[in-house]
Amino acid sequence: MTAVEKTLAAKSGRAGVEPGEVVHPDPDFIMVHDGVVMGAKRELDALGIDRLAAPEKVVMVTDHDVIYGSARAAERGAFNRQAARQWGVRQFFDVGRGGHGHIFPMETGMLLPGMFYFDNDRHATNAGAIGAFGFRMGAEISRVLATGTNWVMVPKTVRLTIRGRLATGVHARDVGFRIATLVANGALDADLDYRVLEYAGDLDQFDLAARAALCSSPTEMRAYGVFVPPSAAVLAHAREKAQRPFTPVFADAHAHYEADLALDVSALEPQVALPGGVQHAVDVTEAAGTRIDHVFLGSCGSGMYADLETAARYLAGRRIAPHVRMFVAPGSEESTKRMAREGLLQTFIEAGAVMLPAGCGPCNDAVIGPVHSGEVSISTAANNNYGRFGAKDAQLYLGSPATVAASAIAGCIADPRACTPLQREARSGGS
Amino acid sequence: MSAFQWRLTGRCYKLGHDVPHQGGVIPGWVIAGRYLEPKDVIPHLFEETDPGFHERCRPGDIIVAGRNFGMGPKMNGYVAMNALGFGLVCESMPFLAYRAAVGCGLRVMTDCVNATDICETGDALEVDFRDGWFVNHTRGIRREYPPVPDGLLELIELGGNTGWLKQWRTSQQRTTAAHPDPEA
Repeated sequence: MTAVEKTLAAKSGRAGVEPGEVVHPDPDFIMVHDGVVMGAKRELDALGIDRLAAPEKVVMVTDHDVIYGSARAAERGAFNRQAARQWGVRQFFDVGRGGHGHIFPMETGMLLPGMFYFDNDRHATNAGAIGAFGFRMGAEISRVLATGTNWVMVPKTVRLTIRGRLATGVHARDVGFRIATLVANGALDADLDYRVLEYAGDLDQFDLAARAALCSSPTEMRAYGVFVPPSAAVLAHAREKAQRPFTPVFADAHAHYEADLALDVSALEPQVALPGGVQHAVDVTEAAGTRIDHVFLGSCGSGMYADLETAARYLAGRRIAPHVRMFVAPGSEESTKRMAREGLLQTFIEAGAVMLPAGCGPCNDAVIGPVHSGEVSISTAANNNYGRFGAKDAQLYLGSPATVAASAIAGCIADPRACTPLQREARSGGS
Repeated sequence: MSAFQWRLTGRCYKLGHDVPHQGGVIPGWVIAGRYLEPKDVIPHLFEETDPGFHERCRPGDIIVAGRNFGMGPKMNGYVAMNALGFGLVCESMPFLAYRAAVGCGLRVMTDCVNATDICETGDALEVDFRDGWFVNHTRGIRREYPPVPDGLLELIELGGNTGWLKQWRTSQQRTTAAHPDPEA
């Protein structure tokens, strides 16, 4: 069996499962974010369902609209707090308490290798970074809250073997943009719709943050899960942080894959996804020089501490271009604290960046830090679909944390390899 | 439950490949406005591609769509199809669209290879969604297709997510009444 088949079999009390089967897995936890609590609560209240099946398993996070840019958001926050009380949800990571729901659970040892959980949000695929699975339920999260589970059709698995090491200045996000582009143009011959993309090959070069980055772009290509088999370093992190015992899952040696693909990344250059989607990637040199107005660093794909560190290496001792505004949203409150302890906060602020609370930042419906009509942005957001940051005719580019930081300094899209960190050499590869 | 009609007899309404939910099935403003009541969505089904469709259709009609039908995870169009008593047969469907259709209680079969090659709008069709067969009486063609998975039969029979939850709630109340909580 593949990793997802083994995980779903274990959580469904089955010896084995096959793609296409319908199972009802028992999740390790159930995550619901601030944007959907109201809908779920009202739906269940209307049905007379006022008790949750397992309130101790429910994790509520406030990450989509953290600082309430509107009266409506404040109302929603108040509603969510009341819902948590009425439902008896103790694991409520409200404003300023946790951060991004697809980041901090991996940092704190809540989400561990081999786990399975239900989430309302499709970016739960980030769980693959630590060797776990989070499945998106959308509005059907209400059924999971009420009954403890929901139906899952076992997805097919596509394997992608990574060969070679990333060059200096090239990042795991670049790999993701390249994969999305090769899938879109057919050079990687696989349909990712409702598939699990399972990585294999030369993966030790990727730390946890880089693994989260590897999960990002396949998700935008409609993968339902991404799985990066945990390395010794990832397992060591998990053991150190674990809040409970866990058993890592790995695919069997003779597992069946719908497609078996390979990608050599040794000659990969930094990538920029052109406006309209992650699958529009080109080498950074093709987009270099495009004047920018707006920069965002953060999101589920690039929100871990190592991502902030990467960007800070370029920004240290420099200032962003005068016409650029730059927003930074750490993935967790813990990262914000660590930034303060280790000097990164000062680096970003002195460079002229604006710090946002831990969470999704502009990447959620542009509730904060949006762009205006006709403006140009480069960011590490989950995607750059038109309208992602507000104005539908804004030009949204994506790059790695290194490319985004180098661009903020230059005032235009810039190749990070041409922007030597002033203090010490940039780390290559994974972070 | 036994009254549920898994076999539909009706007219074919054929669509091409890559028909998106937004615009192709139902206007974007209906989706953005989160209209999900049958009375609100029915008048707008296929409105942008076939105005007046809802007045010409009949219960039991079967939508036969090509590849990649219904892109998007929203339910509005399937609510309308289900309320009108339709079934949906398509060559392929993004999974989240399929999940949305099932969640509305719609009878749906996907992965029906080349289904659009063997029928035209107006043909007399008979489709059994539980047993997985498709007959075009007009052309004398029969095909076996993947049926609704066993694990989803109950969900569709109960009318989708809301109906399923209502039934679940009722069964919970019965259980509680039969075995009252001793600590209550």
